[in-house]
Amino acid sequence: MTPMPWHDTDLADALDALRRDDAHVETPPHVEAAVLAAWDRAHAPHVDTRAGQVWRRMGAIAASVIVAAGLGQLGRELQRTTQASAELARSSGTVLLVGEPILRGEPVRVVRMRVPASTLIAMGVRSATDGEHVDVDVIVGEDGIARAIRVGM
Amino acid sequence: MIGGTFPASAAITSQMRDATGATAGELADSDLMQRTAAGDREAFATLYHRHHAMVYRFARLMTGSDSAAEDIVQEVFLVVMRDASRYDPARSALSSYLYGVARHHTRRRLARDRQFVGFESAAADVAEPIADGDVTATLERRQTLLQLRRAIVSLPRRYREVIVLCDLQDVSYSDASTVLGCAIGTVRSRLHRARHLLTRKMGRAAGSEEDHPRLTERCA
Repeated sequence: MTPMPWHDTDLADALDALRRDDAHVETPPHVEAAVLAAWDRAHAPHVDTRAGQVWRRMGAIAASVIVAAGLGQLGRELQRTTQASAELARSSGTVLLVGEPILRGEPVRVVRMRVPASTLIAMGVRSATDGEHVDVDVIVGEDGIARAIRVGM
Repeated sequence: MIGGTFPASAAITSQMRDATGATAGELADSDLMQRTAAGDREAFATLYHRHHAMVYRFARLMTGSDSAAEDIVQEVFLVVMRDASRYDPARSALSSYLYGVARHHTRRRLARDRQFVGFESAAADVAEPIADGDVTATLERRQTLLQLRRAIVSLPRRYREVIVLCDLQDVSYSDASTVLGCAIGTVRSRLHRARHLLTRKMGRAAGSEEDHPRLTERCA
């Protein structure tokens, strides 16, 4: 390959010829059709028929009914659960605070004791068991003084 | 530029008059952009008619591909359709804005497609009839233009951009600096370098064409 001496004037002439050659080049028609179709799609009015409105309203009503029924059922379930928890709490036992309150982080010991039921009655506590003696948990603080008594475990 | 390709929309455009009595075709680009942002289809169509060829030629010269250029034109005008309200005429002329958008999409396209269609088909599409006594000159001219297109496409992108904008699209240095986002001096220096590279490429191409006939003669 032997390089030919091309000069600036040659290039200027060639560029000028290319510019004239390109002057009549046009975008193909289908490009405009595609661009305007995109415009029409983007700006198409939202068609809302009467039938569509009716169906949408019916759907909204149905959804409201379903949600209301679901909430009612949920409420009943919650009520049942709360009642059951309360009954369980009533039968599970009682904690009596008998001394200074237990401080946060205070080391305590739990001592299980068997005491006469009459002792508890004197303290105003009725045990769930019917025997003469009742098992209780005595919570003792670090200083050896009882803080609380748990009854009916 | 409302060509004869789309007479229906052109006819509608000529009937659309604003409060001052101006048709869409008579309005300035900035007014048309405002109307486009407001959803005026005829304003958008007028903008397209005015500027599509400019964008198409730029993209075609930059990519060397007709199909890529068509895609880029569509993408540019979709941006116009979507973001017309963001255009600020105080910052740049609409042509500079469109060149900037076209440049962005061209770069994306070039990055995506590493291979491009050659200019043979494009040259065949635009070939004019050859007069009887002018066959050799016409063929030489076509060959030179084909080589030049190839040489331009083979330039590094930053040099190709300045050649296409300044030497082939008649964009001023000032507008080119706006489009390219660089100083005017940079545009000048890149253009100088681009012309130098093109001259060398064309010289080499002419040299190889000189070799080619000798081979043909030997084969014959």
